[in-house]
Amino acid sequence: MSSKGITVTNRNKAGLFKRISRAVQRDWQIYLLLLPAIGFIFVFCYLPLYGIQIAFRDYKAVFGITGSPWVGLKNFQDFFNAYYFKRLLANTFLLNLFGLLWGFPVPIIMAILLNQIEWPCFKKFTQTVIYIPHFISTVVMAGILYLFLSPDSGIVNTVLKALGEKPVHFMIEPGWFRTLFIASDIWQHAGWNTILYIAALTGIDPELYEAATIDGATKLQKIRNIDIPHLLPIVVMMLILNCGSLLVSNTDKALLMQTPGNMVKSDIIGVYVYEMGLSKAQFSYTAAIGLFINVINFIMIISVNWVSKKLGETSLF
Amino acid sequence: MADTGVKMKKPFGDAVFDTVNTVFWIIVLVVVIYPLWFIIIASVSDPDAVTAGKVFLWPVDFSLIGYEAVFGHRELLRSYLNSIYYTLTGTALSVIVTMMAAYALSRKFSGRKLVNFIFVFTMFFSGGLIPQFLMNKRLGLYDTVTLMIIINCVSVWNLMVARTYISMNIPDELYEAAIIDGASHFTYFINAVLPLSGTIIAVLCVYYGVARWNDYFTALVYIRDRSKLPLQTILREAVAMLTTSTSTDAFFSAYEGDTKGMTEAIRKALVAKYCSIVISTVPAVVLYILMQKYFVKGVMLGSLKG
Repeated sequence: MSSKGITVTNRNKAGLFKRISRAVQRDWQIYLLLLPAIGFIFVFCYLPLYGIQIAFRDYKAVFGITGSPWVGLKNFQDFFNAYYFKRLLANTFLLNLFGLLWGFPVPIIMAILLNQIEWPCFKKFTQTVIYIPHFISTVVMAGILYLFLSPDSGIVNTVLKALGEKPVHFMIEPGWFRTLFIASDIWQHAGWNTILYIAALTGIDPELYEAATIDGATKLQKIRNIDIPHLLPIVVMMLILNCGSLLVSNTDKALLMQTPGNMVKSDIIGVYVYEMGLSKAQFSYTAAIGLFINVINFIMIISVNWVSKKLGETSLF
Repeated sequence: MADTGVKMKKPFGDAVFDTVNTVFWIIVLVVVIYPLWFIIIASVSDPDAVTAGKVFLWPVDFSLIGYEAVFGHRELLRSYLNSIYYTLTGTALSVIVTMMAAYALSRKFSGRKLVNFIFVFTMFFSGGLIPQFLMNKRLGLYDTVTLMIIINCVSVWNLMVARTYISMNIPDELYEAAIIDGASHFTYFINAVLPLSGTIIAVLCVYYGVARWNDYFTALVYIRDRSKLPLQTILREAVAMLTTSTSTDAFFSAYEGDTKGMTEAIRKALVAKYCSIVISTVPAVVLYILMQKYFVKGVMLGSLKG
C-alpha cells in the first residue's frame, strides 16, 4: 500500500519535472517576457508578505526582522484595547459608507442622462469636460479646498460674508469633514466613473430604441424599460464590489484633509497607521493593524464575490 | 437617436425632458468648469483683489507676480524637473514591462493559470504599508531615485486591460502565419503586436503617467533628501498643509523674506498658490486631452471585457 503510494508520487514527480522541462523548452520566450513584470511584483508585493511576521514580533531595527522576539498576538490586542480603536474603525467605515450612498448613484444617473443628449457636439464636449477633474492630483484637490474654503480669503466665505453670514471654518470644523471629502470625490471622479455605464449603454441594440419610438414611447419610458434593465447587472456587480471595500482607507486624501480641528472625524485607520508607524516608528504595532484590516478586506471581497456568483452575475475571478 | 426615415413629431413629454436634461448638463458643466476657471483667473489677478473677493468671472488687475514667485522658487522648480524625470522614465519602464507581460498572458502556455494567480492575488491582498516600507528599506531602496522610478512599476489592473486588448484585437491567424514563417515570440511581439497596439499603449501612457505625476505619498514615505522630492510632495507644503492659517504662506514668503518686505511676500503667496496649482495640473490635463481620441475607445474596450 505505502510502497505503491511512494512509487506513484515518484512517477508524478518525474512526470512533473519532465513536464516543466518540456514547458521551458517550448515556452521559454514567454517566460522571459513575463520575467520583468513578475520580478517587480515579487519585490514590491510578495517580499512585503514575508515582512508581515513583524506583526507577531516586537520589532527592533538592531535585531532585524527575523531577529526580533516573538510576542504572539500582543500587537493585535494592543490595537483592540487602544483608546481610539472604536473611533478609527467607525470613521473608516462611515466615511466609505456615506461615500458609497452619495457617490454611487451619481455616475449611473449621469450616464443615463448623457446618453439622452441628442446634439453630438454637445455630448462630446460634455464628456470631455466631465473627465477632466479626474486628472487633478489629490494634493491639488485638497489645495483647492483649502483655498476656496479659507475663512479670510476663500471665495466661498466671501460669498457667505456678502450674504451677511458668519464665515465658516470648513477645514477645521469636524462636522464638515465627511461632506467635503465625499463632495470633492464626487466632483473629481463621478464623471470619469460614467465610462463603465456608458460602455454598457452603447452596447444596447439601437433597434430596441427604434421599436420603442414607433410604439410612441417617451424618453422617460425608454429609460425605465430599456436603459435601466440593461444597466442593472453591472450596477449590482459594482455595488457588491464596492461593499467589499468598506474598510479600505483613502489614506492619501484623508492625510491631506486632516487638521487638528477635524481629527474626531478625519482620523481613519490608514492615516493612523502612517502616523504611528512612520512618524513614531511603532512598526510592529502598525504592521499588526495593517494585517488585521487587510485580512478583513480580503474576507469581505471573497465573500462579496461569492455572493455575486450566487446571484448569477459575473464574478470577478 | 438615428432618424428612421419618417420624421416623427416629438412627443410633448420628450420636449420637456430634453429641456430639463439640457439645463441639468449646463449646471453640471458650470459646476465642473467654474472652480478650474476661478483658479486660472485668480492666478493672474492682483493678490489684493483675490483676498478682497473681487475676482469672480474675469482676472482683476492682471498681474503675473504669482508666476514670478513660482518660477523664482528654486525648490519648486527643482521638484518640477524631478517629477518630469520620474514620470518619463517610470512610465516608459512601466509601459514596456506591462506590454511584454500582457502579450505573454494573451498566449497559451503551460503554467498560465499559476502566473495569472500570482498577478491577481496582489490585487486582493498586500503586506501593508509598514512591511512594504521595511522591506524596501532593507533592499537599500530608501531615499533613492531608483525607488521613485521602479516602485509600483506594474499595475495588475493595467496589465489585465492590456491583455484583454491584445487578445481581442490581434487575430490569432496573424500569429499562426508568423510562426509558419519562422518568427519567434520576440520578433512577433516587436514587429506585429506593438505596431498594432497603439491605442492601448496610449492608454497605458496616460494611466501610468498621470498616476506617477500625481503621486505625493510615495515620496512622503520614502524620500528624505529634499532635492529628490517630486512636485506633488513639495506642492503639499505649498497649498495643502494648513495646520495653522499661515503655515503654507510661509512656503513662498520665507524664500523672499529678506529681499522684500514680509507683508509683500505674504501678499504674493496667496496668488502663488493658485499659480502652482496651474503649473502642476496643466501637464496631466493636456496629456489627457491629447490622448483623448484613443482614450475613450481603449478604456471602454478594457472595461467591457475587463
